[in-house]
Amino acid sequence: MALNTCSEGISFAREMEEGAAAFYEELAKLFPENAETFLGYATVNNKNVSNVQRTYFGVITDGIEGCFAFNIEPEEFSIDLALPAGVAKADALAKAIAAEETTAGFYALAGEQGKGLTADVARAFTLIARKKGERVEELKALAAAK
Amino acid sequence: MALLEEPIREVKTLKNYINGEWVESKGEIIDVVNPATMKTISKVPISTREEIDDAVKAAQDAYHDWRRTTPLARTRMLFRLKELLEENFEKASRIQTQEHGKCIDESRGESRRGIENVEVACGIPTLMQGYVSEDVAHGIDEYCIPTPLGVFGIIGPFNFPWMIPLWSIPYAVATGNTVVVKPSSEVPNSQAFLTELAEEAGFPPGVWNMVHGGRTVVNGMLDHPDIQGITFVGSTPVAKDVIYPRCGATGKRVIAQAGAKNFMTIMPDCAVDQTIAGMMTSFFGNAGQRCLAAANAVIVGDDDDFYNEFVARVVAMAKNIKVGYGLDESIQMGPLRDKAKKQNVLNYIDIGLKEGAELVLDGRQFTVQDGYPDDCFVGPTVFSNVDPKSRVGSEEIFGPVMSIMRAKTLDDAIRITNENPFGNGHSIFTQNGAHARYFQYNVVSGNIGINIGITAAMAFFPFGGLKDSFFGVLHTQGKDAIRFFTDTKVVIQRWF
Repeated sequence: MALNTCSEGISFAREMEEGAAAFYEELAKLFPENAETFLGYATVNNKNVSNVQRTYFGVITDGIEGCFAFNIEPEEFSIDLALPAGVAKADALAKAIAAEETTAGFYALAGEQGKGLTADVARAFTLIARKKGERVEELKALAAAK
Repeated sequence: MALLEEPIREVKTLKNYINGEWVESKGEIIDVVNPATMKTISKVPISTREEIDDAVKAAQDAYHDWRRTTPLARTRMLFRLKELLEENFEKASRIQTQEHGKCIDESRGESRRGIENVEVACGIPTLMQGYVSEDVAHGIDEYCIPTPLGVFGIIGPFNFPWMIPLWSIPYAVATGNTVVVKPSSEVPNSQAFLTELAEEAGFPPGVWNMVHGGRTVVNGMLDHPDIQGITFVGSTPVAKDVIYPRCGATGKRVIAQAGAKNFMTIMPDCAVDQTIAGMMTSFFGNAGQRCLAAANAVIVGDDDDFYNEFVARVVAMAKNIKVGYGLDESIQMGPLRDKAKKQNVLNYIDIGLKEGAELVLDGRQFTVQDGYPDDCFVGPTVFSNVDPKSRVGSEEIFGPVMSIMRAKTLDDAIRITNENPFGNGHSIFTQNGAHARYFQYNVVSGNIGINIGITAAMAFFPFGGLKDSFFGVLHTQGKDAIRFFTDTKVVIQRWF
């Protein structure tokens, strides 16, 4: 069922970010040579959640409200973050890149759709989408450098 | 989606808060029912005349010391209250949803709006400063001192149980007055919780009192000689025929914010996607129980293709609105507050049909998500070809009913809008600045939206209202509220 309300969008984003943070923490354990990078990503994932929530709780008003903020099919943005035992670094990075591209797509769409009613939340989403795009390039560079 | 946890889990009888004590009322006790589940969530007293008199006496007694408390010390209590409101933001929001039925996003918006008024009132040490003219004549100075007046009565409505009393209370107490708050007996839990937080913030006994009840309490406030002023939000008949004249008769200041019939003018050059999203939230948010909800959509121009396509898109989007219990985050529209309010809306749908309007989306036929009882629910309803002078087109319905009408030109749209007796929150959707400016200049409305569907003023602006939507002079919120809750002493002095 489509995500329509701001609350749903925030909850969906939170689940994605929390899942991604756990994923990168696991990568840090599996590939200690890049632990600092992966733990840094996990920290940013958690910050994304708090940034979006802080923005939402700071500006949500009955004038710029969120019941009709989005029309997003969550199935289109499901991500696979499961790491099979003994996963190769190349495969893990490929999974990370795919997940980041998908979540960037979610944030970009939510930012675009939400700007009519939820000005600040939409802007926060758009900024995260941009950062996700930058992370994809970093992950690609990491994959190429292995 | 899963339901958020309900904050009220045990049915308790609410108490009055008088002179810093929680006091059982001797009045009749009635049930407070969650309109989405139809379960009783609390019981509220209909307090007696003696009880309102006790509260006013406590407020009057407390006033002497409170006005001598420095503005800085008074606002420190508001700062503490603000912190408590932030800490309890989610609980307060869920209480609103549980007792009123509005969606959680709407309740969070209401919580935020309430807090913003506390934040603005925290600026009182500078906001209520007076002014001085030196040497109005040789050696003579003149200055003006804003001073508090005494006890104020704050009468809250059912549609915003948390926020609307906060349009007044923070300014009243920050400027040195004391208050007696009467929440709506339909939704008393929000103010009961707010009062608990005010107690925790440390307001001295008698400064902030709360008395539950109905007409007896209101009459007690209106008649009481020690009440200096009243703020009221409710229907036009009560504001116009009861509150306003009786405050005049007893020499009280008054802010009486009343009903509305808000018109949304839609120009053919509007940004269609954003306009339709804005329409959804304005017409159907809070199930239409909002004095700033749009009621009439006036589509301008002769372009039948634009009109037909626009209406089809509006109906398609309205049809997909998820109706249900607002503690489910996916729900976009909750119930009406009670059965009588639902029946009122159903009556208007019948009236609209009899008047010849075309029912293009029938709110009597819809599904409540997850099977909650439909006692208080009505689905989004859209009429087209509505005559603006018909009852459906001109009277306040206070429900999720959109009436669509056409106007040949912007001037026609403004004329239609201004012919209605209300003037609360009209809006225009256009990408043309000249159209927007022309509308803003010529439409008679206390609040005006330009590409904004709900024209709610922020806390640092007055909440306006003209014609039959407002009775009084000064408004709640912002600088108007500070002037309302203070009088001025002008001193002219010379020293020999």
